[in-house]
Amino acid sequence: MTFDCRQLEDALREGDPEALAPARAHAEACASCREQLDAWDAVSQGAPLLRSRWESPALWSRIETAIAQEAARRRERRRLMRWLPSAAAAAALLAAFAAWLALRVPTAPDLAAADQRLLTERALRDVERSEAQYAASIERLAKVAGPLVAKPDTPLLASYREKLQLLDAAIADCRSEIERNRFNAQLRQELLSIYREKQRTLEQLMGERT
Amino acid sequence: VRAFEALYRSHGGRMKSVARGLLGNTADAEDAVQEAFLKLYRSLGAFKGESRLSTFLHRILVNACFDLGRKRKRRAETQDVEETGREGLASSAPDPALRVTLDRGLRRLPPQQRAVFVLFEVEGLTHREVGEVLGIPEGTSKHALFLAKKSLQALVLDLRRGRSAS
Repeated sequence: MTFDCRQLEDALREGDPEALAPARAHAEACASCREQLDAWDAVSQGAPLLRSRWESPALWSRIETAIAQEAARRRERRRLMRWLPSAAAAAALLAAFAAWLALRVPTAPDLAAADQRLLTERALRDVERSEAQYAASIERLAKVAGPLVAKPDTPLLASYREKLQLLDAAIADCRSEIERNRFNAQLRQELLSIYREKQRTLEQLMGERT
Repeated sequence: VRAFEALYRSHGGRMKSVARGLLGNTADAEDAVQEAFLKLYRSLGAFKGESRLSTFLHRILVNACFDLGRKRKRRAETQDVEETGREGLASSAPDPALRVTLDRGLRRLPPQQRAVFVLFEVEGLTHREVGEVLGIPEGTSKHALFLAKKSLQALVLDLRRGRSAS
């Protein structure tokens, strides 16, 4: 079987030595195909020359540092994840309780019609207990995020810090209002929504870092 | 970390070479190797032992190179000539002009062809291994290699014709 110059590309496409054997035999008498085949072979022969080996004395310590930082971030994330479920559960409990109170208070027969938003002494104790648990959960979250908030190293973290400071100020204001009027359900709901915002902000802040 | 260090000691050199072939310069290659080890640390759970760890590691490395290559495409283009000269491309190589021609040609290939050429021709993997690393069938690897070699063959022909003309 005779080999035609037009078959050279197909033989190269096949790539294996058997397919190239007829092409090589043909190239002995065909200068054009010989040139093509020589250049083709030169690519494969020259390829190992592209192997590069060089010393990188600092590379392993860079990798080691990056892995150590990643491990620290993982630990931080795990710590955060331990607190999140209890904070979420406390928030849900408090929200459900506050909603129940808000619906129940106006229809309670033993309350004066003129002051339907006021709470009973017993309900108040329950609310204060739930509130304290929720606030403690948020504070634990805040403690975890403490180092990031104390020394924010990006503009975004700095703005989170400002927002947290505003929220803390709002919590303090709300608390002092509540001390003056402990039976006011509206103030308590306001405090709850500020705490929720603080929780969200802390989660976002930790999310930014991880 | 010790296990990672052992892995780095045994595969780091080859990984740097593959990354340099794909990215065209040593600084980006080292960044890609670092990123690959970090990704390996993050995704060790995804390694099910279906392939060799070195194949898994090369797959992560090639993906890291593609990501980095996209980010630094413009920078790589501006460094093209400078890098080739600076790294010298082995002055002891038997044919430095051929090596420079291939190195430059390699950078102009599409990413998949470049990756197949580097893994198969430069680093000596089989088409099956190349397929596993790149997540492509063996046939696709063979076809990409043909296209890559065809482009490089044209450059070698130009080089040789230029030599004989001068």
